[in-house]
Amino acid sequence: MSALDLSLQEQAAAIAAGEVDPAELLDATLARIEERNPAINAVVETFPERSREMLAAVPDGPLRGVPIVIKDEWPLPWRGQRFGAADMLAHAEPGESGPYRALRDAGAVIVGVGNMHELGAGSTGNVSVYGPARNPWNTERCPGGSSSGPASAVAARLVSGAVGADGLGSVRFPAAYCGLTGLKPTFGRSALEGHHVAAVTETIVSGPICADAADCRLLGSALFGEELAAGDAAGLRIGVVRNTVSEDVAPEVRDACEEAIEALRGETGGEVREVELADLEAATLAAVLIINSEMLNGVTPEQLNGIDPELSPINRGFVKYRMLMPAAAIVQSKRMRTLMRRRLAALFEEVDVIAWPTLPAVAPPLEAPLVELPSGTLTADQANVRGGALANLTGIPGISAPVGLSADGLPIGLQLQAAWGRDELLLDAAEALERVNGRRWVEALPPLAQQAEPTGV
Amino acid sequence: MEASDRADEFIPAGLASLGIEADEVDMAVMGAAHQMFWPGILGLISMDLSEVAPERDPDLSRAPEAS
Repeated sequence: MSALDLSLQEQAAAIAAGEVDPAELLDATLARIEERNPAINAVVETFPERSREMLAAVPDGPLRGVPIVIKDEWPLPWRGQRFGAADMLAHAEPGESGPYRALRDAGAVIVGVGNMHELGAGSTGNVSVYGPARNPWNTERCPGGSSSGPASAVAARLVSGAVGADGLGSVRFPAAYCGLTGLKPTFGRSALEGHHVAAVTETIVSGPICADAADCRLLGSALFGEELAAGDAAGLRIGVVRNTVSEDVAPEVRDACEEAIEALRGETGGEVREVELADLEAATLAAVLIINSEMLNGVTPEQLNGIDPELSPINRGFVKYRMLMPAAAIVQSKRMRTLMRRRLAALFEEVDVIAWPTLPAVAPPLEAPLVELPSGTLTADQANVRGGALANLTGIPGISAPVGLSADGLPIGLQLQAAWGRDELLLDAAEALERVNGRRWVEALPPLAQQAEPTGV
Repeated sequence: MEASDRADEFIPAGLASLGIEADEVDMAVMGAAHQMFWPGILGLISMDLSEVAPERDPDLSRAPEAS
């Protein structure tokens, strides 16, 4: 097997053992990006000389020499972020963002910048100043957003790990659409410095996207600046909520998630309990309003009147609509946040995790991102946000783990959410899921990643 | 007075008061956004959450302190 196709952990271990030359791995990774990326548009920029300079200076950290893709949401010392947009309505310039420093200090090599949904304002990845990223499982389908490029890059095995950002589900959604594992950390635990709304956000976190939970643990440890210790999730108490987020779901997604929940219960010797979580719809709206108010940080009417015409029509209109959101609704959203935080604190006395489908349907077509649900046809964004927003509203961690493929070969993800600070438990639970299904879904490869390898090391 | 979700009243007035210009495409997008969000916003504003004492400077990395 080529070193390119090793897991993140395996790449790091092979480099540490002297079995793989990190300079050769970097060159091979760049060659693979050149070879595979045109089909998926996951990586929007590489900078071989900068990557080689980074490699030459890396410390002997846990990710020494491992190539990583980082989302276009974080500044790098040689490149300001564009936020997937012709006009991000904020000042952006090169700099040392928190995720950059975390990766550098762990010894990783940033090999490219990942595409993203324009302004982070979508769950599909089909709108970007760079053109849409594509899903390696079917390049006519959405890769998910807003961390579209990082997920697509890992799914196509351009790299073994990528860093995304999650404000309403933007790590978990593309992980689910692309058959990967994506961790949305507890608010404040992962590196955030340098994000253009870092000073005001109460929703956004950086997070790892990798093939499996062990790789997320390793990359997450770098982003957290602390080791995410492994446990065993024994006796896991799994809460299931019977409402829209678990019921208004495509049948094959519901079936795969229910099967996975039962398998997880069996593997951990745990139990499944039905639990109540009222007002989830209002809580979702509260999260949407809060993050949109955060994105108004410093935006003026003058800026909006001079907005770049290359910004997509949807976002040109929507960023103006943000200015009309009533202050009373933002204040009420924060009360709703308090209410949900208290309810969750009580709920997590009864259960260890809450489980529901990460997304209600598999990846929709790029050209028309609509999903068919029992309640009817919805835009993917309308439907997807239901399952993602709670964690960002309240600060709790969430993880999406792959649990199956649809009849037409598209990945399905199960989301687990836990109490504040229990990120490690989510990784443990995802690893238990991998064990019980023989790692079938984390090792499944999309057609693009099954191509014969001319550039191996 | 009854609440209204009429975009053709709310949006032009709001934009004008802020001095924000908008073309027909912007207006169409905002109209769609308004239809999608406004009923929920009205519902949220109308919820009686007076029993929920707000958290002061909440630490979102931790569980809330007991109310």
